[in-house]
Amino acid sequence: MTDLIPMAALGATPVRASFGPLTLTEEEGLTLVSLALPVGFDASVTEVPLPGPGGYAIGTTSVFWTGPNQWMIETRDLDATSRALAPLPDARTTVQSDGWVSFRITSEAGAAPLLDLVTKLVNLPADQLAPGRATRTLLHHLGCFVLRRSETEMAVLTLRSAAGSLWYVLSGAAARIAAQEAT
Amino acid sequence: MLIPHPLLGPRDAQEFTYLGDAALLNRPDPASGTAAFCDYVYLRDNPAGTHRELWYHEYGDRSWLLVTRDTLSHEILDVRLAREVKTGGTA
Repeated sequence: MTDLIPMAALGATPVRASFGPLTLTEEEGLTLVSLALPVGFDASVTEVPLPGPGGYAIGTTSVFWTGPNQWMIETRDLDATSRALAPLPDARTTVQSDGWVSFRITSEAGAAPLLDLVTKLVNLPADQLAPGRATRTLLHHLGCFVLRRSETEMAVLTLRSAAGSLWYVLSGAAARIAAQEAT
Repeated sequence: MLIPHPLLGPRDAQEFTYLGDAALLNRPDPASGTAAFCDYVYLRDNPAGTHRELWYHEYGDRSWLLVTRDTLSHEILDVRLAREVKTGGTA
């Protein structure tokens, strides 16, 4: 079998850059699986957490709500996830890893710079940006998932083909926030 | 304009696309003839006042919403998930 070497979304290696307290990193090795379940499914038969609207269950395998009866699973162990979903025979899953790019944004100075950045970029109420919330929204005319993982970490996911545009937007906004804080 | 999504709370109208009159939910029976379909496809009321209309949350959770809006003031009087209206349940 051909020995293929995976490439990062913006070149040979994942991009990473720091702007004052904010660090932007392209996430590596993340497997994304979409999950759709029929109306009236029984959630009690699986160990996979299935959060409600806007919810984000964070763990070794994380799951966020993407629409009614639809979720996206972030995993680093696809086999374990497949086993966990086995009790749901009607589950419809698709591995979508190669369709998305995920940029992780971390702050070294608490939640404030992160919130400064995200309130510049997306038009969402504050409670949708609290830790443990995940939202699909528009960011510079791009459809994106905005995931808040903790007080000081969030991730923005978009179509992999638009990785350059998203990087331009995120790095530009982060650089302006860093410049503002420096003055 | 903010649209109060039944599941996700108030969301920017930019995230939505507009389809039109909610009468589109009431598709005629296929056997009811071309006159009924002509009305269904082409004829719409254009009220100055309360209007029931379909909006699609394209840059959100991709659900269809049935929005009752006052076309004079843009006040939104009611928002429900179209699939609940259609099925009459809380699926």
